[in-house]
Amino acid sequence: MTNLSWLIPVLPLLGFLLIALFAKSLPKTLVGLIASGTVLGSFIIAVSIFLQNDGTAHTVKLFDWISSGKLHIPFAFLIDPLSLVMLLVVTGVGFLIHVYSVGYMSHDERFAQFMSYLNLFVFFMLLLVMGNNYIVMFTGWEGVGLCSYLLIGFWFKNTDYNNAAKKAFIMNRIGDLGFILGVLLIWVTFGSVNYSEVFSGAEGFTKGDKVITAITFLLFIGAMGKSAQIPLYTWLPDAMAGPTPVSALIHAATMVTAGVYMIARSNILYTLSPDTLNFVLFIGLGTAIFAATIGLFQNDIKKVLAYSTVSQLGFMFIALGTGAYTAGVFHLMTHAFFKALLFLGAGSVIHAMSGEQDIKNMGGLRKHLPITYIVFLLATVAISGIPPFSGFFSKDEILAHLYAHSPVLWGFALLASMLTAFYMFRLFFLTFWGGFRGTKHQLEHLHESPLVMTAPLMVLAVLSVLGGFLNVPEIFGGNLALKNFLSPVFEASELRSFDPHIGHQTEIMLMAIAVGMAGISIFLAYSRYVANNEVPSGDEKEMSWLEKLVFNKYYVDEAYDAAIVKPLNWISRKSEIFIEKQLIDGTVEGSANFTLHLGGLLRQLQTGHIGFYLIAMVLAVVAIFGYTVLF
Amino acid sequence: MNALISLSVLGIVAMLSEIFNFKKFLYSLILLGLVAAIGVNVMEWGQFQLWYGMMIVDEFTLAFSGVILLTGFLWFLLVADNHQDKAHISDHFAISLFAMAGAIVMVSYNNLSMLFLGIEIVSISMYIMASTQKNDLGSNEAGFKYFLMGAFATGFILFGTALLYGATATFDIQKIGVFVTEHNSELPAIFYAGLILIMVGMAFKISAVPFHWWAPDVYTGSPTLITAFMATIVKTAAFAAFLRLFITCFSGVELFWNQTIMIMAGATILLGNITALLQNDFKRILAFSSVAHAGYMLLAVLAMNNQSGGSLLFYLLAYSISSLSAFAVLLAVANLKGNTNVQSFKGLAKKNPFLAFVVIVAMLSLAGIPPTAGFFAKYYIFTAAIANNYVGLTLVAITGSIVSIFYYFRIVIVMFEGDESTEVTVGSNTKALLVICSVLVILLGLMPDFLIGLLK
Amino acid sequence: MNQVLTAAPLSHYVLLSSILFSIGVLGVLFRRNAIIIFMCIELMLNAVNLLLAAFSVHHSDPSGQVFVFFIMAVAAAEVAVGLAILIMIYRNTGSINIETLSNIRH
Repeated sequence: MTNLSWLIPVLPLLGFLLIALFAKSLPKTLVGLIASGTVLGSFIIAVSIFLQNDGTAHTVKLFDWISSGKLHIPFAFLIDPLSLVMLLVVTGVGFLIHVYSVGYMSHDERFAQFMSYLNLFVFFMLLLVMGNNYIVMFTGWEGVGLCSYLLIGFWFKNTDYNNAAKKAFIMNRIGDLGFILGVLLIWVTFGSVNYSEVFSGAEGFTKGDKVITAITFLLFIGAMGKSAQIPLYTWLPDAMAGPTPVSALIHAATMVTAGVYMIARSNILYTLSPDTLNFVLFIGLGTAIFAATIGLFQNDIKKVLAYSTVSQLGFMFIALGTGAYTAGVFHLMTHAFFKALLFLGAGSVIHAMSGEQDIKNMGGLRKHLPITYIVFLLATVAISGIPPFSGFFSKDEILAHLYAHSPVLWGFALLASMLTAFYMFRLFFLTFWGGFRGTKHQLEHLHESPLVMTAPLMVLAVLSVLGGFLNVPEIFGGNLALKNFLSPVFEASELRSFDPHIGHQTEIMLMAIAVGMAGISIFLAYSRYVANNEVPSGDEKEMSWLEKLVFNKYYVDEAYDAAIVKPLNWISRKSEIFIEKQLIDGTVEGSANFTLHLGGLLRQLQTGHIGFYLIAMVLAVVAIFGYTVLF
Repeated sequence: MNALISLSVLGIVAMLSEIFNFKKFLYSLILLGLVAAIGVNVMEWGQFQLWYGMMIVDEFTLAFSGVILLTGFLWFLLVADNHQDKAHISDHFAISLFAMAGAIVMVSYNNLSMLFLGIEIVSISMYIMASTQKNDLGSNEAGFKYFLMGAFATGFILFGTALLYGATATFDIQKIGVFVTEHNSELPAIFYAGLILIMVGMAFKISAVPFHWWAPDVYTGSPTLITAFMATIVKTAAFAAFLRLFITCFSGVELFWNQTIMIMAGATILLGNITALLQNDFKRILAFSSVAHAGYMLLAVLAMNNQSGGSLLFYLLAYSISSLSAFAVLLAVANLKGNTNVQSFKGLAKKNPFLAFVVIVAMLSLAGIPPTAGFFAKYYIFTAAIANNYVGLTLVAITGSIVSIFYYFRIVIVMFEGDESTEVTVGSNTKALLVICSVLVILLGLMPDFLIGLLK
Repeated sequence: MNQVLTAAPLSHYVLLSSILFSIGVLGVLFRRNAIIIFMCIELMLNAVNLLLAAFSVHHSDPSGQVFVFFIMAVAAAEVAVGLAILIMIYRNTGSINIETLSNIRH
């Protein structure tokens, strides 16, 4: 079955090609069937490979891709526990979102194009997670960036959406520069970009080696861009301009977790570089808290979820930063379930509200959207970390590892976790409870989404509830199934890092505190938004300066604008005049004109007269004879 | 060798079709025969045969024969839509098949007499093909120029051959090579004179500056279909012959000829590209571009290392299939508009997006831009040349390819201008050709290793 | 026969052939009548034939003389094609001056 693994990325690619080539002639139903069917096919193959996998890594080589001098890059796939987990998440969640999109986008006139982009995205995402070397990963990495750009700006007639797409693209470029420099440095250091050779080569380095630190740091810059960490996170909230299934698939469940996957994949390099790991930890922790605070004051349903995604990605990086790679991947997985569900649920709400996204104008939707209400509740509980929902297990594992690392930092992470519970329930209560605050017109139109949209919601809800049981910790009698499954991948790292063990008592106490805090947060949210019926005003005049600061997202966008964008614009305006127009254009156009002029002269040589040609040839022969006799 | 026999038999069958009256099936028969010839050629891979010391079958022969046969097959796909002179169809087919047979002789010779025969079989066929449009003055002129200058150049090759024979007492190129290495320091003057004359004659055949004069005029004047044949199959054969001659016979005296070839290569690249800049006729642009490409390929000859054969093979295939698809679209456009001017392509992108796409792929490949075959073709040739310390010349070559982007993209830009054009129709065979060529160009650009690994 | 050919030293044959060849080349260069140019090309080829025959005797190796037959046969074929082209041109332009054919240029 492993031999068939090449089909996994090829199927979505085929889907993309089919839909893109025959977009005009295919009926919508068929487009939907092809798009979802190909991803389903990939999922089925991934599952069957998963069932047969015994924890060993298989390399499936397709062909020699680039071979030049010492550089040999095969186009090959690596099938091991880590890539299998990612494959299942990408194809599984991807399939559900494809099905959902068929309903959500059915009224869009460019439906076929949308579905083809989604398929193309899945193809590149699969390349990213399946490649057996950094170049194939980079191909996927860039490809998903491209699809993200195309899909954020899908409704390209709106200038703001286009700007959001451009912002995402440019911010990712900054990260990609780091990534590609890291890969170059890997090649220079190890003479190869294949995982197997790089990782076995890395085992010869001592902990804290400067080159390894540089490599991991550069790679992490790439992860910061792709996974929206401080300071490169501002593109993600803006990326919500894309259709909601895009937000769910790309900007919550899969693409933004590419950075996490990349670090988990390169775990041995990171383990050898404690400095970078600490850096990752602090960036992750900072992002988790920072984004969570912004989430408290957002009134756009998708923006809240976007900041929540940034914050949760921060949690994953905390896990990686403490060396708990399994915990990071575990949270990646559960987050994919519940965050995709939250986005799709939000999509269902937006669909019902005829495009309204402001929670100030919602309220009381539970009566009208019963299914969406229930699944949204389950997802909200899961993300808040209430047992036994999936988020509880994965977040708890991260917190436990962080506590063992440093109790002080644990305190900060706990704060972020509390904030999460608060803003999520704030969102939930404002949307579904209380009275309806929208227009009459909207009220008349309120309807539950069709089955094609609610069915994926229900499946994701089941996963959000039960996903945590994949890795039940020992204290609950669990056997840490995921950890054992992934252990071959992280084996080398675990040998090199001591596993700070905390006692069962402590662990239970930590859990109790976390759950208690979450409970308090929920209660606060309830008392404020349900009992007191408070509705955020969105009017800055009534806010204190602190509220204003957070409401405006700490003015980070404005600060970037003032510190980077405006000076750059100034420089580029000046250099347009002085460097571009005068220096470069002068030289380039001068030499181009000279060449063209030369072309005009030289063509006169082609006189058309045979006599001239013959004489020229004989003279050339004489010249060659003369030259060789003389020299 | 089997490919050569099949081609000759096929040519005779084509002539017989006139007598036995099966002209209707002739075209399909030839296509089948060419597929069969490709098949037997592939089957022979890995064998080594020497036929009475005259012809040699080795990997070099088979690889270049493969390129010739493949290009020939694709060229015959082009014939279906573009051959007007139905009355003489069997003669024309027979001559083109014999020309291909001659081309195979040129890549598999082991004796200078076979080289001479191969060159003449190809050349005489091409003189006829170039002047097939009896009432078109352009075709007349092209045929005449080609004939006169070709015969003149043949005279040089023969005189050179005679002098080499006088110096080494043999026509066998391997024995000449052995003689050269054994008597490296005491070679007689007539040997060097012979070398120069043969080099000059071969330089004419590959249209290297300053012996290129015939090429632009002949390419422009000949019927476009024949130009496509000359620019691809004839060029492939001439270059393979050139490389085999220099690697086998003259590698021992590399220092004697390398500077001359180096200057020729640089001049060919610059002159070909720069002169193409201000041409307004697409066919003539392709003619000058063909001259320029000869310059790049000379770098492979200069490299004189184990990468020479592979990189030249790759370059010729990439160049041939890219040119063929460009010529195919040019033929389709010219059939409609009645001329081969660049402006005839106006509005093609809007009316015929498929044809426009094909042209874009072909132009990218000819200009050497990834992800097309042309990029890796240039890449391999340049690395091979740099490996033999021709850094300066490689820089000149890179400059030349930058210049070439101007005229290759000009046609692309024109395609997107205006929309007055009526739709260009292409037959199914041409369509098949365009699809095969474009797919091959992109495939070779994505996975170049397979082909380059054939000749090490 | 051999004795007749070997009576003169080899260098004389080389010189004679070179002179003949050069006369042919100069004729091609400076004559404007296509037929005369053809004849000059034939002269070049015959210079080669003479040289090959001389070397063949000198090396006591028959292959040089076989080559001469190749050249003769091919030259005949070549001239046949050339004259056919020339007749075609004469029909269309009424001239066999090579300078009349210079319409394809620049």
